[in-house]
Amino acid sequence: MSTPAAAVGWFRAWLHAALFGFACAAAALSPSSYTPQTRAIALRQIYFTAWQVLAGYLLFAAVLSVLVVHITVAATFEFGLSGYAVELVLRAMVLELLPLLTALFVALRSGSAIGTEIALMRISGELDPAHATDAGPMQREFVPRVIASGIAVASLTVLGCTTAVAIAYAAIYGFSPWGLEEYLQVITHVFTLPALAGFLLKCTMFGFVVAVVPIAAGVSATRDAKSAPLAVMGGMVRLFFALGIIEIAALAAAYA
Amino acid sequence: MAEPQFTPIPRNLQFRVGLLIGLTVVIAVGFVFFVLYARGTFDQTQRLVLVADNAEGVAIGMDLTFSGFPIGRVRRITLRDDGKARILVRVPVEDARWLRTSTIFTLERGIVGAPKIRAFSANLKDPLLPNGAERPVLRGDATEEIPRMVASLRALLENLQNITGPGGSVQASLDNVRTLTERMAGKQGALDALLGEEDAKQATQALDRVNKLLTSLGGVSQRLDATIAKADARVLGQGGLVDGAQQAVGQMNAALGEVRDNLKRVEKILADAEAVSGNAKAATADLGALRAEVDASLRKVSSLIEEINRKWPFERNSEIRLP
Repeated sequence: MSTPAAAVGWFRAWLHAALFGFACAAAALSPSSYTPQTRAIALRQIYFTAWQVLAGYLLFAAVLSVLVVHITVAATFEFGLSGYAVELVLRAMVLELLPLLTALFVALRSGSAIGTEIALMRISGELDPAHATDAGPMQREFVPRVIASGIAVASLTVLGCTTAVAIAYAAIYGFSPWGLEEYLQVITHVFTLPALAGFLLKCTMFGFVVAVVPIAAGVSATRDAKSAPLAVMGGMVRLFFALGIIEIAALAAAYA
Repeated sequence: MAEPQFTPIPRNLQFRVGLLIGLTVVIAVGFVFFVLYARGTFDQTQRLVLVADNAEGVAIGMDLTFSGFPIGRVRRITLRDDGKARILVRVPVEDARWLRTSTIFTLERGIVGAPKIRAFSANLKDPLLPNGAERPVLRGDATEEIPRMVASLRALLENLQNITGPGGSVQASLDNVRTLTERMAGKQGALDALLGEEDAKQATQALDRVNKLLTSLGGVSQRLDATIAKADARVLGQGGLVDGAQQAVGQMNAALGEVRDNLKRVEKILADAEAVSGNAKAATADLGALRAEVDASLRKVSSLIEEINRKWPFERNSEIRLP
């Protein structure tokens, strides 16, 4: 494949994913998408994506926050900036690190599975007629998965961040109630309304792309069985970059 | 549907997913409300306008602290027509009691971190600060001190350089120390270092002489020893001074024995004398009686003479010759 052709292919794949994303959003916003059938698919998807892994994920978040808190407190203490340790932990862990890790986790666990599933459906001819933005498969298969993915990411992020906030308190102040007032004060200082809105928007975007990009890649597979791995791989790479772009944009908006 | 067939779908799937979503929503909404509440969105606030020369570093959302506790929050920063910064602070009515008409506001900027707006109320009995009050801000800026500090630091460093550089006093002192230690390591050692070469030589000579003196003193003390031995022989030897003294003491003992005998005899004599004196006392008693008799006899003689005189008128000489 020559370089210009590759560039064109790359561009078309992104365009396809973006168009598919818009179509999905439009379908998700239309009430006719919400049928008992789609609801069942969405429930099952949420169950597999979020509930099954909840305990392990929360454990991971707890261990990570203990480590990050210790490192941050030690480092800030060394530089004589321990007054900023709590704020730093909250900003780094809760606002930035955990949402991104959650999105990556869901992408690795469910995004790849969804992409493969859709590609296989495509190969087996379940998604006829051929046009992916057709209302049939879009409402029947895609919308519930996208919504479920978004909810799963939001759920895991919220619960993971809550765990991290609680663990960080215990790691910084110990199990004493007297640091609570100061801690809550720092929390209100960090989570301003714009920060909360940005956080919410970022998490929504994460959940959305985690579902949309792999599905778009799965749809782009042809009837040829050999196209499935290629399509899924391309989808995962695009997903990674999409998550990165969202994170960078969020950071730029918040701090630049 | 291509859900994995080997994973059984639980019957209470709806409940579990509902629980998950419900928990998520409750936490998220609760957190948002908590933040809104904690940030004082639902509190009644009053306005306070602070006027500063320079609002650099002041950000919206910054706290106004009193005794280290946040009591207000910066809401808006604008530039006034006279070029001064106008910082609008919202203070919850509940916390406004800390702000009095005499309260002083400061904007302090450290080297690290955001500036801090602080309120100091010296007298909490002064009248309350009215809503919408406008107050100046006193500024303290650590970074403004830095250039001055750097200048004095440079002067200090130059001085240090002058002291430690070649030809500096530290260098000279070190050279002296080196000379000293070199001379200490030399032939005449520490003496050379302390006194200089000439004096050190003299000192060495003096030491030699002292050594000689000590040697001759040794001879003298030997001779002295011999003399003392001779004196010993004279005093303590056969027929020596002590011997003679011993004989003399023996003789003296004998003499003392004689003296003791003599004293015994004297004692006897004294006892006799005592007896004699007792007799004498008795005799004295007899003498009284005798005297009385003599007195009586004399009175009789005298009366006899008077009678004779009366009877013998020719002789007027009444002198009587006692026997």
